[in-house]
Amino acid sequence: MELIQQIVDGLGRGSIYALLALGIAVIFGVMHMVNFAHGELITVSAYTSYWLLTSGFDWWYVALAIIVVAAITSVVIEFVAFRWVRGAPDFTMLMTSFGVHFLVQALFVMYVSANFRQFPRPDWIFNTWKIGAINLEIYDLAVIATTLITLLGTYCLLQHTMFGISLRAAAEDFDAAHLMGIRSNRVIRGAFFLSGLLAGVAAVFWLMRSGQAGPVAGLNPMLKGVLAALIGGLGSLSGAVLGGFALGLVEVLLIARLPTEVVGLTDGIVFVLIALLFVFRPQGLITVHHVERV
Amino acid sequence: MRHDSIRHLVFPTFGSILLIVVLICGGILYTANGDASRDSLITQMLINAIIVLGIQIYIGNTGVLSFGHIGFGAIAGYTFAICAISPARKMMQIPDAPFGLANVDLTPLASGIIAVGLSVALAFFVGMALSRAGVRSGAVSAVVITLALLFVVHEVARNWTDLTRGGKIGLSFSPFGNATLEGKNWIYVFLFCAVLLARLFKETRIGRFAQCVREDDLAARTMGIDPAIQQMWALIISVALVSVGSTLRVFELGSINPRLFFFDYTLLTLTMLIVGGRNGITGALTGVVIITIGSELTRKLSELDIVALSWILREGLTDLFLGGAMLGFMILRPAGILGDFEFDHWLHERFLHRQKKKTWTSKEEQIRSKVVKKNQTVLNVEGVSVNFGGFRALGNVELKATGDEIVGLIGPNGAGKTTLLNVITGLVEPDSGRVQLGEKNLTGMQPHEIARSGLVRTFQNFRLFSDLSVRENIEVVHLMAGKYRSAQTPDVDTLLFQAGLWEFQSLRAAGLDYGNARRLELARAVAAAPDFLLLDEPTSGMDDNESMAMIDQVRTMSSMVGSGVVVIDHDLNFITGICDRVYVLDQGCVIASGTPAEISADPAVKVAYLGTTAEAT
Repeated sequence: MELIQQIVDGLGRGSIYALLALGIAVIFGVMHMVNFAHGELITVSAYTSYWLLTSGFDWWYVALAIIVVAAITSVVIEFVAFRWVRGAPDFTMLMTSFGVHFLVQALFVMYVSANFRQFPRPDWIFNTWKIGAINLEIYDLAVIATTLITLLGTYCLLQHTMFGISLRAAAEDFDAAHLMGIRSNRVIRGAFFLSGLLAGVAAVFWLMRSGQAGPVAGLNPMLKGVLAALIGGLGSLSGAVLGGFALGLVEVLLIARLPTEVVGLTDGIVFVLIALLFVFRPQGLITVHHVERV
Repeated sequence: MRHDSIRHLVFPTFGSILLIVVLICGGILYTANGDASRDSLITQMLINAIIVLGIQIYIGNTGVLSFGHIGFGAIAGYTFAICAISPARKMMQIPDAPFGLANVDLTPLASGIIAVGLSVALAFFVGMALSRAGVRSGAVSAVVITLALLFVVHEVARNWTDLTRGGKIGLSFSPFGNATLEGKNWIYVFLFCAVLLARLFKETRIGRFAQCVREDDLAARTMGIDPAIQQMWALIISVALVSVGSTLRVFELGSINPRLFFFDYTLLTLTMLIVGGRNGITGALTGVVIITIGSELTRKLSELDIVALSWILREGLTDLFLGGAMLGFMILRPAGILGDFEFDHWLHERFLHRQKKKTWTSKEEQIRSKVVKKNQTVLNVEGVSVNFGGFRALGNVELKATGDEIVGLIGPNGAGKTTLLNVITGLVEPDSGRVQLGEKNLTGMQPHEIARSGLVRTFQNFRLFSDLSVRENIEVVHLMAGKYRSAQTPDVDTLLFQAGLWEFQSLRAAGLDYGNARRLELARAVAAAPDFLLLDEPTSGMDDNESMAMIDQVRTMSSMVGSGVVVIDHDLNFITGICDRVYVLDQGCVIASGTPAEISADPAVKVAYLGTTAEAT
């Protein structure tokens, strides 16, 4: 029973990670860049919700606004920064994404505050239903259901639309796709838009839980997303989603089993576990073959 | 001339002294008015310089992005603080320190040595992990592993309150009598050692091997360079220097808390490194100075009270400057202001090389006459099969070549020629069969071991060390041969001259045109003094005249080291012009072998290679 409870909790947590990881994997697919600035979308969303909620808007509108804002921010960041480093060496792209991360952080410190701001969380969503021994939060149900719908939507988009097919083609082999007449600009911009949408959906639920906005609000979700995407092997979209769920489950199971003195270190432990995963399986859990041609 | 000591020792030392003199003069001028805050700013800058140079040794030479160095710094800093704080003060701050550390009372020097030793020991294990993960330039795995280190150190420092007093207050100690750092003299000594260490490391064999791995890890391995060892040494030396710097930093501040060695400081040091140019010492120091000035300026500006500019002059401006500098440079000038420029290197190129050029021609004649006896080693490929998924790339291939002949390998596209070369050089593991060189079984050996055994290849689509100069490309492989190959190698000058690259020697390899890049590939492989040269389409993209010239070049250069040649090509004229024997591959199988004349008469070859039977008849 306890285990089922933990699995439900883990899936709830993992849903958010899955959405973030998918966004990171989509961008990796078209640009071969690990986007360490993905968390800034959450930061921007957090401030958006802070301003809207303290001006008295309802959570429903706020949720909608968050998704739109995250998607737009994502495209803007691509336009301002990442556009210029397409095809650059890995080192340059990595540092660029960190540069964006630090820059956005600095902008919020300058123009809002270095401190965290609290905003009201929607109470009703944390009501629980008791089914047998399991406490089922509406939140968990909502996040799992929304994630599944979003993933299904993304799947249809990728499988059946022209944009989705171009994006997958570009992810498979960018140069070939480009030669076949796929417009790289559009695909990359579209990938950032999609990635922003997914981050927006994730942000809604992340913020409902955390209820605060601060310049570093995006750091934790960013790390979780990147780690989940890495578990999935980066290039693979389905791998990223699985990686997200796996990460959520592992976290919940660890928290339940670790002795109380070290529960505060869960994040650190998960981080080390994933670093070790890299050490022993450099290609990720779900292998994507990326053979270098000589 | 195996090691040009003027170029790699004397000039760099001179350059380091020059850099230090400039820094000291700048520091003295700035602090001349006796302002204490200026004094401490300079002190901090010099300490930052030591840490940045430490990071440069790793990131600059290996190209691996590490966020963990400041984590190592934290470990050194805490170790230092815990050992050096007097027991009386520790009683007040961390009375419950484990392992009896509360009673430890050491001098700052002893504590510093322990601190550096501990973090270096840890660096060894992290280095093992990194090499296990197979990191290379710009690898995400390295970012994750090093970030994990930074985070874990930070979390432990925050949570292990018995030892570190937690995150809020941190540890502090009273100044050590007269031993404060305000008299900066011995910081300059440390800094000088740091500059010299970093500058000379760049010129050492390990440093230069590491740079090759940074430029192209696959090419480096096939030239006999083992990435793991170079990266490990770079990491250890770099962590040692960062630890020294961090210890000084803690000493100077008189306190330590987890925030001092976390993201903000990582950002600061990385920005310093990147802005000036991460691949050079001059660049790294320039970055330190520029970013220090910039941060100080923005900090002062943000305190100004000008109403019209209040939208920009506010708290956080310094962070904006740092983040903006990092992003801006990555977008506009990713190599930094100076790239890998070194003043001493420039001086050397400008004055010494010119003279050398003049004296060269007289030497020309004696080189031409030098021909090394061919070796009699046998390269034996026995029953090699390779399957990619369901696709049979090679089926039971047999090939034999001796060191005194030139063997050609032809076949249509997709016949498996390059795959066979990859199997021989250890890049692809065969499903069955073996590769034997003389008595030695090469199957299952690492590419760099195979190269050291005497098989060196070129690549169809160049894999030069593009950011190194033409000369350096040859030089590093020559160094490898000097260390791991007993065979006699011609010196670098001769190789450059023979390859027709003498005029281009100071050019970056990336700047070479197509033909010269091909010739450099060849010269670089010859520099390894192999028993066998394996050439993958050395004439692809060349016209007939160039191809014919290439025949000459392959002949003379292979005879300079007395190596046998196995050459893949499409160009029938080239193959028949150069080879003693030819193998024909089709769909992964050897369909014919023999002298060029026999091959061109073979009907099966005509079908496979020239196309239809109609054409053959």
